[in-house]
Amino acid sequence: MHISEGILSAPVLTAGFVGTAALAAITLRKMDMEEIPKISVITAAFFVASLIHIPFGFTSIHLILNGLVGITLGIRAFPAIMLAIILQAILFGHGGVTVIGINSVMLGGGGLVAYFIWRLRHRFPSTPRRETIFGGIAAAVSVISSGLILALALVTTGEEFVATAGYALLAHVPVMVIEGIVVGVCAAFLAKVKPEILAGQVQKTPMGHHHAT
Amino acid sequence: MPLDIDRFAHLETSIHRWDPRLKILSLGIFIFGVAILKSIPLVFIALITASIFLKITNLPFHFIVNGIKWVVFFLAPFFVIMPFSYPADAAFYIWKLPFAWEGLRVATLIFIKAITIVLTTYAIFGSARFDISMIALQRLRCPKVIVQMLLFTYRYIFVFIEEMKRMDTAMRCRGFVMKTNMETLRVMGNFVGTLLVRSFERTSRVYKAMLSKGYQGEFHTMVVFQAGWKDIVKAALVLMVIGAIIAGELSGSFNTAVDGWY
Repeated sequence: MHISEGILSAPVLTAGFVGTAALAAITLRKMDMEEIPKISVITAAFFVASLIHIPFGFTSIHLILNGLVGITLGIRAFPAIMLAIILQAILFGHGGVTVIGINSVMLGGGGLVAYFIWRLRHRFPSTPRRETIFGGIAAAVSVISSGLILALALVTTGEEFVATAGYALLAHVPVMVIEGIVVGVCAAFLAKVKPEILAGQVQKTPMGHHHAT
Repeated sequence: MPLDIDRFAHLETSIHRWDPRLKILSLGIFIFGVAILKSIPLVFIALITASIFLKITNLPFHFIVNGIKWVVFFLAPFFVIMPFSYPADAAFYIWKLPFAWEGLRVATLIFIKAITIVLTTYAIFGSARFDISMIALQRLRCPKVIVQMLLFTYRYIFVFIEEMKRMDTAMRCRGFVMKTNMETLRVMGNFVGTLLVRSFERTSRVYKAMLSKGYQGEFHTMVVFQAGWKDIVKAALVLMVIGAIIAGELSGSFNTAVDGWY
């Protein structure tokens, strides 16, 4: 899911870059050098996983997974998604160079939303289904938030895009459902197999204490 | 899907020899200039200019087509949606749907712009090794952290695609077929999870190895950039062309795409 080159007006593109710069500045604060490899790993995996197409009726849908990046990297999801978008623009003109800003705000913003939802799970009792449910909701809401930002960008560009914005939003509904299920399953899997990949996952240490990573 | 944009970085052309810093800077300005154009003849001139850049780089045709394929695929729906949804008086009706020329013109503008920009991107990044382009970005004051992460990520992408192919083969050997059902989604969730875990473990080993070799958050390079008068002339030429195109746009001698074809 990308806005392609050439559609949006200059003010919207500029707003995208300004928003990206601001969000990148906030989300990159206090970053340790040691975090660079982890962020890069998730970014690369995110990039690669978005190449997976899942059959949907006559057509197929490719995974976006910005919600998954949110629940694994926390606020660093924003720079990670931004990097994936820069690379996609450079590697296959998918999206494009002038829309790096707006696409980062759109998908990265969705990733941040996913993280904020994911954090709420601590307020609920730990049941075997908790990670699945919260992962799923986080991913679904993240997709729809991105869809809303996309629609907003189109509508503010000009009234001729109102109809297109409507179709784009509608097209997000099946993606939202599929992402929700895939990420929900994936979150539960990671919670069992390698909880330290998940953002803010409380884990038991050998000493029996709890600490958040 | 071939992702290595720098497969033909070894060619010897005047764009390949161009100082990457000046190349990225001037062609980058060209791209943003194209993005703000509003009239069809001017974007068409930009398209021809971008094609000339690409012709000079001598990149093989099939390699470029691969990149453009995506743009065409994404923008084709616009030719259908825009004419029928544009808020203007309908020129005629097709099956009772109002068809507006304005919409078709806007779709054409968008399409040519997109192709122009992608072609220019290929001219920039297809004509130098990826790491050199990144170091050039760093010299252009792009934050170090970002350049580092771009380099890491770029490297990992190829590793993980291989990993994903192996996992895919293994799944198909065990008889997995993708369908539109819950089972497929559940399997894909676990697939993505496994890909993450494997990638994570593999790269933490790599990272430890890098640390033990003295990595301190910076890549050192032997590359020395030197901009001579030729590099500056090339950059000036590009800026003059885009400057002339934008002057044409501002002079108002052409209609915007909404008002007319030319």
